[in-house]
Amino acid sequence: MRSIWAVATNTIKQALRMKVAAVFLILLLVLLSALGFSSTGDGTLKGRLQTFVSYGLSLTSILLSLLTIIISIYTVTSDIEQRQIYTVITKPIRRFEFLLGKLLGVILLDMVLLSLFAAIIYTITIYMPKFTKAPELERMQANYEFFTARASLTVPAIDVSQEVEDTYKKLERSNGLPENVSYEEMIAQITMQKQLANRAADVGQVLTWEFDNVKSLAQHFFVRFKYDVAVNPPDMQVLGRWVAGDYQYIKYGTESETPIYDQVHKNSVRDFHEIVIPANVIPEHGRLAVAFQNYPLNSTVIFFPPDGIEVLYKADTFTGNFIRVIFLILFRLIFLACLGILASTFLSFPVAILLCLVLFSTSCFSGFVMESFGFLSQNVGVIYTYTIKWMVSLLPQFDKYNPTRFMVPGLLLSWTVLARCAVVMVCIKSLLLLVLALIIFSYREIAKIIV
Amino acid sequence: MEYAVETFSLTKIFSDWWGRARVYAVDNLDLQVRYNEVFGLLGPNGSGKTTTIKMLLGLLHPTKGKSLILGGDGTDSQINSRIGFLPEESYLYRYLNARETLDFYGRLFGLPAKVRKMRIEALLDMVGLMAVANRPVGTFSKGMARRIGLAQALINDPDLLILDEPTTGLDPIGTRQIKDLILKLAERGKTILLCSHLLADVEDVCDRIAILYGGKIQIQGQVSDLLQQTNKRQITADAISDATIEKIKQLIHQENAECVVTSPMDKLETFFIRTVAAAQKQAQTTSGAVSTTKIGDFLTKQTVTEDILDKLVSAPVSQDGQAEPPATEKVIPVESSDPEPAEQLLSKLTGSTEQTEPDASVRSEQITTQPVESQAPGPEQVNKSILDQLTGKQSTQGQDKEPSDKSQAGDIGDA
Repeated sequence: MRSIWAVATNTIKQALRMKVAAVFLILLLVLLSALGFSSTGDGTLKGRLQTFVSYGLSLTSILLSLLTIIISIYTVTSDIEQRQIYTVITKPIRRFEFLLGKLLGVILLDMVLLSLFAAIIYTITIYMPKFTKAPELERMQANYEFFTARASLTVPAIDVSQEVEDTYKKLERSNGLPENVSYEEMIAQITMQKQLANRAADVGQVLTWEFDNVKSLAQHFFVRFKYDVAVNPPDMQVLGRWVAGDYQYIKYGTESETPIYDQVHKNSVRDFHEIVIPANVIPEHGRLAVAFQNYPLNSTVIFFPPDGIEVLYKADTFTGNFIRVIFLILFRLIFLACLGILASTFLSFPVAILLCLVLFSTSCFSGFVMESFGFLSQNVGVIYTYTIKWMVSLLPQFDKYNPTRFMVPGLLLSWTVLARCAVVMVCIKSLLLLVLALIIFSYREIAKIIV
Repeated sequence: MEYAVETFSLTKIFSDWWGRARVYAVDNLDLQVRYNEVFGLLGPNGSGKTTTIKMLLGLLHPTKGKSLILGGDGTDSQINSRIGFLPEESYLYRYLNARETLDFYGRLFGLPAKVRKMRIEALLDMVGLMAVANRPVGTFSKGMARRIGLAQALINDPDLLILDEPTTGLDPIGTRQIKDLILKLAERGKTILLCSHLLADVEDVCDRIAILYGGKIQIQGQVSDLLQQTNKRQITADAISDATIEKIKQLIHQENAECVVTSPMDKLETFFIRTVAAAQKQAQTTSGAVSTTKIGDFLTKQTVTEDILDKLVSAPVSQDGQAEPPATEKVIPVESSDPEPAEQLLSKLTGSTEQTEPDASVRSEQITTQPVESQAPGPEQVNKSILDQLTGKQSTQGQDKEPSDKSQAGDIGDA
């Protein structure tokens, strides 16, 4: 244990004195402070805050990721290539202790730097409203929609399989099926049509979403939405009438004991917007309905993209959410440190760096990568399933756990999600890499230089 | 366990990526190093010395065969804690300073902070780097780095010391010091495996040697057995009169033997050390390593009987830096007589503990019982005598090293 600590502190000294860390540190400090003054966003206070936090966290996350990759690889490969390891490994330290020491050093350094930058970003964010002249309305908006951690009510998915089946049979009977199209493709096509139909509203038409077991919330809840249109209106804006309250009132028009929210908003299309609804509209039995009407003054069909509607409520504080998001970044760094250590046990510095950077960038687009390979799988089937799919699923999903995804819209990153990320990214994937690294390192010839 | 280091048909074959171009770096090596012995592994460049050491320590995997080191495996941390290793070059963390470097290695051994601090100071003092202890080792010259490398190998007070080319890049004083240190450690019952192609160094300190060529042991045995010329005798005396010499010559002629009479030469090494010592006495400054002759206290702690020896040894240390040490000579009362006039004079010059008369004459006579073709170098042949020694030609060298010789050599540097 003592020797692990000795190696760890030596690694930190190395990173600091070789000025690798210093370069990143200065770069980040300069960029962050520049961002603090220059970020404007859409001009509102909320926009400024969102831009700053988004760029600040992304920058910190990316630069620290690069730093982690470089240091974790350099610290091992330079010891091997410059042969300091000859005198180290012949001391009473086992090989796995040596690697663990290196890893611990990198992670400790990461922790320190990450806390430093997190503290800077947090402080600037918190104090930004105080040093900004903003109207009261913008402050309220920032408080409701940014300085918060909101969870979303699950929008129930509407089951369309029966409808799809019926449509298909109808087409089959009427010989309306296009040729050269397989059954699966046809079904997928009809399903998409049906789902879209459920999210689309013609002029004057009403869409309704119902939510079960809605507990009485704090003061407000929020409907976050994005319009899409069939025909662009002249000023790119449409009118929408939003109604929220007891489902019985909205569906059947019966009397409601609780108040009903009913307002018309004019919003631009293809942007996210939010409306704030007071919490007292939620009925006691907990079944809430939210309805949207394509206001008759419009002249186009309006529909919502798949992620186009969310009902949000405040679930935690901004600070708590911020801390959890920082943990998310830390998990990412731990994974990268393990990856770097693994690569450096059997590759030379430049090759290891290249490999890790490729894997890192792939992980940042893991969703896209998986999708493309998924598409490929339709053609190469079995081979794919047993080889690439397995490897691709080992990649960490950095995009899925992207810090800005949570911080910018003020979405709650729950402890559950964080724990899942910790288990998958740290306990399983990182550990796997580390074990592999330890095995390789224990059996390799130290004195052999790898090119 | 009989041997400190033992290998059983140890073989290392280097091959390229395809497994071709096989080079036998070490070929069926059977090496035995006994406990408490200074063992020299000799051989030209590329003869497999370093490869052997790397296999002993587990840095390379043997292709075939196996090795035992202190009765165990070279990668076992229990065993490692009793080994000191100085690789062929001092590979150090350039960004650490000298003190931090030693502290780092000390912590790898799990030494408590107090012991660590004490040993680091003693070692820095010993290798003469106290003045530059806070300078990053990346700025050190090769010799200074070598000194730190040596200090690093000694921080755990090892039972087995493996030194790969310990004297490369060192000045003569440093070389002398390492040799003294080796003898000193051997005296304390340590085992030393020395790997070198500087024959003079090896010859001065080793009990046994093995000569490697092409990864194979060409010859292995006691230095004295290998080098002693049993058909010759050598007598060393104070500066005696010509008349006495004539008498001796007559005596020898009565035995039908030839003899040559000369005055022994200083070794260049001795001369150099003396010159530098004189300069140090005048307190001239240097930015390099300070030459000291101290050996870390913890390395010289011994049993009670040896303590007496230590006191004797340390006595001259107090007079450290005194000018010209009194150089005296008596005929060594050892049966086989002393082999090397040069070394004899060296120990004499540097203040042997046995001397009692500080004002005896400086000159001494060397008398050999038989004339030898390559001996008796003239005054202009200082270098040649050393070369002779390096190439092992000198007729009269290679006597068995007596314990008293060792103790003498051990404190040679004290003057």
